[in-house]
Amino acid sequence: MLLWTKPGKIVTWIAFALVFGVLVLAPFIVVAAAAFAGSWNGVFPSSPTTSHLAEALSGDELASLTVSLQTAFLGGLLAVVLGTWAALAARNAPKPLARFADALHHLPIAVPSVVVGLSLLVAFSRQPVLLNGTKWIVVIAHLVLMVAFSYGTVAAALQRTNDAYAEVAASLGASPARVLWQIRLPMLRPAIVSAASLSIALSMGEVGATIMVYPASWRTLPVSVFALTDRGQTFTAAAESLVLLAVTVVLVVTLDRLRGRSVER
Amino acid sequence: MTVRLEDVTVRFGQTVALEGLDLTVAAGETVALLGPSGSGKSTALKAIAGFVRPSRGRIWLAGADVTDVPPARRGIGVVVQQYALFPHLRVADNVAFGLRAARKPKAEVARRVAEVLEMVGMAKYARRYPRELSGGQQQRVAIARALAIQPPVLLLDEPLAALDAQLRADMLGELQKLRREVPDVAIVYVTHDQSEALALADRIAVMRDARLVDIAPAADLYSAPPSAFTASFLGGANLLPVEVVEGGVRLAGQTLAGLRPQAATLPGDAGGASYQGAGRSGAGGRSEALLLCIRPHAIKLSDRVGEADAVGERGEGGGATAGDSWPGVLVGAQWRGASSRLTCVIDGLPAVSVQVDVPTGECLPEVGAKVSIELPVEACTLVAAEGR
Repeated sequence: MLLWTKPGKIVTWIAFALVFGVLVLAPFIVVAAAAFAGSWNGVFPSSPTTSHLAEALSGDELASLTVSLQTAFLGGLLAVVLGTWAALAARNAPKPLARFADALHHLPIAVPSVVVGLSLLVAFSRQPVLLNGTKWIVVIAHLVLMVAFSYGTVAAALQRTNDAYAEVAASLGASPARVLWQIRLPMLRPAIVSAASLSIALSMGEVGATIMVYPASWRTLPVSVFALTDRGQTFTAAAESLVLLAVTVVLVVTLDRLRGRSVER
Repeated sequence: MTVRLEDVTVRFGQTVALEGLDLTVAAGETVALLGPSGSGKSTALKAIAGFVRPSRGRIWLAGADVTDVPPARRGIGVVVQQYALFPHLRVADNVAFGLRAARKPKAEVARRVAEVLEMVGMAKYARRYPRELSGGQQQRVAIARALAIQPPVLLLDEPLAALDAQLRADMLGELQKLRREVPDVAIVYVTHDQSEALALADRIAVMRDARLVDIAPAADLYSAPPSAFTASFLGGANLLPVEVVEGGVRLAGQTLAGLRPQAATLPGDAGGASYQGAGRSGAGGRSEALLLCIRPHAIKLSDRVGEADAVGERGEGGGATAGDSWPGVLVGAQWRGASSRLTCVIDGLPAVSVQVDVPTGECLPEVGAKVSIELPVEACTLVAAEGR
């Protein structure tokens, strides 16, 4: 949008500040405020306390955080490996097969996550593959959802890379494995790290599918937040949300740094 | 011979990228594949490198059939158009890549890397990353990387296309120097630029529409082009429609004496005595479609001072005057620095413009002036017209 007059610019900025402030920023501030509120009866919270935060970082709730982290790393890692592999394979596959792989990997994005969760639950609740009640059904649900994003990110990066690099490497006598490990994958590193960071961020916040499949022993942090809110413990839920937010931001920023460095090199 | 292609054909689905190419390149020889884009020259290079599998035909390297051998086991050095230096590896590691792939001992890798970087004048830049180099420097590294594995064959795909004009001229000199440093390597050089081909190649293979049109030593192709396409693509020759008559050829109603079609132009017709009959009626009337080929710089142009003189001169011999000057009009002039490119039209041949190069410093006629166009017979050759 190109605006040349001063009033025009001012009006736009005010509109932007209102929309962004009220719809995006304010809810975060409210959650942060609620996390430290002893009570909230008037317009503003009162009797500030850190007891909710302490609660969020102890016992069952702390266990939820480690469960979330394990799920995100396990699911995310597997998703990146599988997504990268699939993207590389699709690149050299015949056209119809590549298009089929493309469509297949976009399915989990199109299908509602609740449906993904339900279908996994139905599929793995009986022999021969009985995973219901184990943490693996949660990891698989996350994997299914994240692999689509990993595949998409890596495939897009692959589309931009020239085959000439791999061809020249081969002409210099490199075996296909050497070409893969020393040329193709290092050149895809920024995209792979992006995919990992996206997968982990999404996994940390995943509720829809998780809530359908999680066993009592493997409750992720967002599910805990949901359960607490459901029981009316809004302040503890807010404190836990704050922890979730902080951990996710730290993870994504760290991974982003990693990517930044690899681009710089 | 080091490289031999036998009836190599490459098809991508319905598209024929290369059709029945026969080519041999000897050790120490430089062959340029010259042609416009889409002529199949890059495909030929890819077939030699092993990046594409021919749909038909065989490829031989040093006497061994390598048609089904993957690129990694051919040992050919390849420099691609955009160089494809590995962006995440330093210059030295780029150059060492092939040596490490061959599991050469560390000391030998280091020695060889230093040697080839020295050869291309890039020793100082060993610790740099490719993106810290200019286009010309990247190109030198790409050549060093290809030569590091001591290949018997070096393939260069438009190596100068990505550089600007000044740098291109410099690198052309560098390539000539490099050629002398690796005297035994067979080089195949793909280009669309005739000046690169003329400067570097021992032989030039002119390609068009996926086919080889002509192949011959560069000087032969230039001085006596075997086909109209080669004549115009290599050096931008003038092609003027002529008819064979007794004792010469007839151009715009005037005879140019002493020019005979070569045996190659009129197959099965070696003797001068019999060519006329064949030219007139035999050989399917092929000689009717002959073109006179002359380079722009070989034509001499002079002002027609005194129209009456010129008319008189022509009038003497009537319609069948023999001579090597034609009356015409100058219709355009472009100054090109060292020379001027003039466009003329011969009277009676309005559809064909004649390009003439005149060195700067010579007196130029005005545009629109009547001129006399001299075609020295020793600079003329005959080629068959297209569409045979």
